[in-house]
Amino acid sequence: MNDSKLTRAFDNDWIGPALVSLVAIAAISALQPSFLSSFNILVLLSAIAVNMLIALGQLVIIAVGQMNLALGSIGGLVAISFAAMMEIWHLPPLVAMGGGLAIGVIAGMASGFVIARTGISAFIITLAGLQIFKGINLGITEAQPFYGVPQSVKDFGNVALAGPIPWLVLPMVAAAVFMWVLFNRLRIGRYILAIGGNRNAAELSGINLDTTVIWAHALSGLLAAGAGMMLVARLQIGHPAIGEDWLISSFAAPVIGGAILSGGHVSVVGTFFGVVIIAIITQALVLFAIDPFVVQIVLGALILWAVGINRLREMRVARAKA
Amino acid sequence: MVLIALAFAVFASALPGFTTPFSLFAIGRQIGIDTMIGLAMMAVIVTGGLDLSVGAIGVSAAMVFGWLCERLGLPLAVSIPGALLFGALLGAINGYTVVRSGVHSFIITLASMSIFFGVMIFLTKAEAFRGLPPEVAGLGRLKLGGKVSALLAVSLAACVALSVFYRFTTLGRRMLAAGANPRAAEISGVRTGRMIIACHALTGALAALAGLMVTARTGAAVPSMAGQLGQDWLLPAFLAPVLGGTLLSGGRVAVFGTLLGAAFVNVITSGLLQLRVGEFWIQACLGLILLAAVLADRGRHTILRRRGLV
Amino acid sequence: MTAALEVLHASKSFPGVKALDDVSLTLQPGSIHALLGENGAGKSTLIKIVTGLHRPDAGEVRLNGQAVGFANPRQAVAAGIGAVHQERNLVTRFSIGENIMLERLGAHALSPIDYGQIHAEAAKWLALLDLYIDPRRPVSSLSVAQMQLVEIGKALALQTRVLLLDEPTASLTPNESQVLFGILRRLRDDGVAIVFVSHKLEEVFDLCDTVTVLRDGRNACSGVPLKDLDRQAVVKMMIGRDERIAKRAPRPRAETAPYLELKNVATSAGHRDISFSVRPGEIIGLYGLVGAGRSELAKAILGQIRRTGGEIRVAGKPAAIASPADALHKYGIGYVSEDRKQEGLILLHSVLGNAGITVWRRLSNALGFLRDRTIIDHTAPVLRQLEVKTPSVYQTIGNLSGGNQQKVSVAKWIAAGVKLLIIDEPTVGIDIKTKAYLHDLIHDLAEQGTAILLITSDMPEMVDVADHILVMSGFAIKGEVENDRNYERVSQAIMGFIHDNASTGAAA
Repeated sequence: MNDSKLTRAFDNDWIGPALVSLVAIAAISALQPSFLSSFNILVLLSAIAVNMLIALGQLVIIAVGQMNLALGSIGGLVAISFAAMMEIWHLPPLVAMGGGLAIGVIAGMASGFVIARTGISAFIITLAGLQIFKGINLGITEAQPFYGVPQSVKDFGNVALAGPIPWLVLPMVAAAVFMWVLFNRLRIGRYILAIGGNRNAAELSGINLDTTVIWAHALSGLLAAGAGMMLVARLQIGHPAIGEDWLISSFAAPVIGGAILSGGHVSVVGTFFGVVIIAIITQALVLFAIDPFVVQIVLGALILWAVGINRLREMRVARAKA
Repeated sequence: MVLIALAFAVFASALPGFTTPFSLFAIGRQIGIDTMIGLAMMAVIVTGGLDLSVGAIGVSAAMVFGWLCERLGLPLAVSIPGALLFGALLGAINGYTVVRSGVHSFIITLASMSIFFGVMIFLTKAEAFRGLPPEVAGLGRLKLGGKVSALLAVSLAACVALSVFYRFTTLGRRMLAAGANPRAAEISGVRTGRMIIACHALTGALAALAGLMVTARTGAAVPSMAGQLGQDWLLPAFLAPVLGGTLLSGGRVAVFGTLLGAAFVNVITSGLLQLRVGEFWIQACLGLILLAAVLADRGRHTILRRRGLV
Repeated sequence: MTAALEVLHASKSFPGVKALDDVSLTLQPGSIHALLGENGAGKSTLIKIVTGLHRPDAGEVRLNGQAVGFANPRQAVAAGIGAVHQERNLVTRFSIGENIMLERLGAHALSPIDYGQIHAEAAKWLALLDLYIDPRRPVSSLSVAQMQLVEIGKALALQTRVLLLDEPTASLTPNESQVLFGILRRLRDDGVAIVFVSHKLEEVFDLCDTVTVLRDGRNACSGVPLKDLDRQAVVKMMIGRDERIAKRAPRPRAETAPYLELKNVATSAGHRDISFSVRPGEIIGLYGLVGAGRSELAKAILGQIRRTGGEIRVAGKPAAIASPADALHKYGIGYVSEDRKQEGLILLHSVLGNAGITVWRRLSNALGFLRDRTIIDHTAPVLRQLEVKTPSVYQTIGNLSGGNQQKVSVAKWIAAGVKLLIIDEPTVGIDIKTKAYLHDLIHDLAEQGTAILLITSDMPEMVDVADHILVMSGFAIKGEVENDRNYERVSQAIMGFIHDNASTGAAA
């Protein structure tokens, strides 16, 4: 171990993305001062808050070595259920929120259960889940939004808590802190990582694979539910299309943050900066009035870039060992 | 097969409108398209991988076709092969990236789906090509023998060609060998990397063909024909091969099974539609069918394993 | 005294093979018990039954006199049976301490982890193993030997009273092995029952108290004190006949020009200064223990591992072999892998699909089309010649017995008409009869002019088949032995070269 502190710091997952975020912020605000206007920061933080929950929802599944295509459809289903409960049954927002979270957890557990018990690839099960949850969503809404969202919910999604910081940041901070503690300090979190890192070893160590996988999916469903409801608050309607565009960014942020797709290694802080980078780029394209579809190209390119970087780092680690 | 016949019989007897020539034509046309999408995915499932970008490739190829026909005024005999080649090229890019990076095809094609679709929308400004030669739409409406859609015939021909390909050509056999056990195939002198790239390219070409078939049905090359990022194709792409009995772990194909899988799905779907089950609930049903199909696939796999084959 | 662990009359069948047939094993607390047998004799199956990975078809397992039936490895772990498998089972990104304590990170799923306590506890177990390293270090920074000790520590931390070690010294240097043995003896004196699986008889006689030998899935002996046996007796039980066999007369070395020639070859896997040649009609043996770098050398010849220095010549001309496809199609070199299931065969495909894979390219017409008929015409004579027993060539190869599978994996190279065949551990897990048949076959191939490089760690096989033996250890050739079929002399010469290397501590 002849690493200096500095090189070790650069081996950290989140340093790179953090630097990229800072440089991007500096560059864009130099070109376009309105980037740092308090309104723009509010918009940016709101986007980051929602996308962070989405990314964490995927992160926990990546940690266990799987993938969750149904993340967006769970979020969408919860979003419209949340709005419907408030509009049709006139439930108070907090009760509706409890209901929404419960739906998310149940939907996640259902996927997790089928994956754990049958051993079929998570890809295909969550693809089926995606279709089923989406179908239920459209069956309920018939593709029409729910408009009866109470003012308190709308305010939560659009009013600033202090200065340019929106209320939406609160659930994000709570979720991020919890996930950090989970992966670093809680038994279940370590078990999730152990399964992702070496499934055989985890099994031989007496870890219950099925239960742990189901828990991971339940947590993923919970985070998707949170993100879905935050979007209802932000958009002020329960739109059936919520969740349709989560797939790519949910993978992009964790991968930029240094997560290893085969599982066992994730970084919550890195993911946060991944989300920030994506949000900054998206926002910048809007500010410079560039075709929004370029975002898609950039996102795809970012994933490939991050995969390449992670690969290089892995190879460096392997070489350092040999 | 029995299932399809059964489902068909049930709907035919329950619904008077089910067996009208028009209904049969419409179902057949959709079966043709879904089969082609399924075959496209099957070609890459052979390697034990997958391609999320089939939809994006299909649409992009269809737009290239529209551009070649409408803007450059090239004849169909040039623009159709041009579009197919373009699809194969995009697929080959996927394959090359997968092989060189060693990263699972899921994440590579997730990224490429975003890039292909984004570039396509950027270049076309999301505008459709509507001034295509009338033969294109004509093909979509063409009824062979008064009943059977020409698109279904195209897919049938593709099935025959692929069956011959996998059974009677060196390339096809090598693809299957590389998919079933890459290490053993490599040591036996198969260039596994090239085979994986070839499989992805074949997927791209078939996806392009599917894109052209959709274009023929609508009579125009529309950027939104496969939904956002081409995601709408994902379900049919996996449903048909999996229902048809293609092993998800690679190495074994069921070409005509894919056709039957697509047929089964469409018979059920249109039957339910005519029973006035809401269009949206059918989507949920399709998800359930996929779930049932993979459970059956798993059952088969377990039996194979018990017999010591995997 | 109640036995710590008993396996009574266990049988286990897999499709096509009876892996265990009425096998018994008795372990006393405070003893080290050797479990011996050739590859494929049933040792791994027995271990998997004891550790809950397999359930026996018949017979039972008793722990301290109580019948137990483990449905999964977790139950075996909970009952106090610890195992250190051949492959490392550690989460390499986690710290040493966390790996040791992985089962007991907290009382329930959401309990916070007290890393201070975990690492303190882990340090105790490490100290017991004379392993004074910081338990906070990640496992990925350890050497293989250290990882092995960590796994033992992990097993001990679970109050293990029965400890199974599967080939623990395969990748250790002699010094590291001696350290391990010291620890095992101390554990024995503390009352732990230890099962020790090894191919190295010297170690077994050095360390163990009693021995159970398996042969072809049956007990050749069960729980015999080792002091009552000598090496010859043990070997005889393992292979079912006397160790020394010299049926074949020594063959004079061919005087023809070499087909394959390596000159000072170095590879990215770590080989250095490898030089030897193989002539047509000659069987060159490459002997070495597991991890000596033999299969890696084969893969370097095939172009799968990068050559970093030296020269490979084929038929007198410098050869640039970039891939196995090059090796086959341009240079006529084939490789029968030691790992039949992963690298040798495509189990999912038919006998025909496997036997013909090497000749597809040659048999297809200009457009790349070929018919089954053509392939059958080409491969059937070879399959017949090798007496492959299969209902039809369309039979899925995974359904055939191991011996027949191995014949097909050789047959495909004969069908391809290779000039040089590298054969890696050809008789692992193969029954005695097929084994003898394969030996004859290798011989016949050589007589017909094929150059053969035979890799094996089976000493009798080496002495019986090879003409000339190269000894490899630590990714270098340590010596050469002319094989005069005198088992005592040749085996001692070989072990001398390996030992010589070992004492300098250069083993990888």
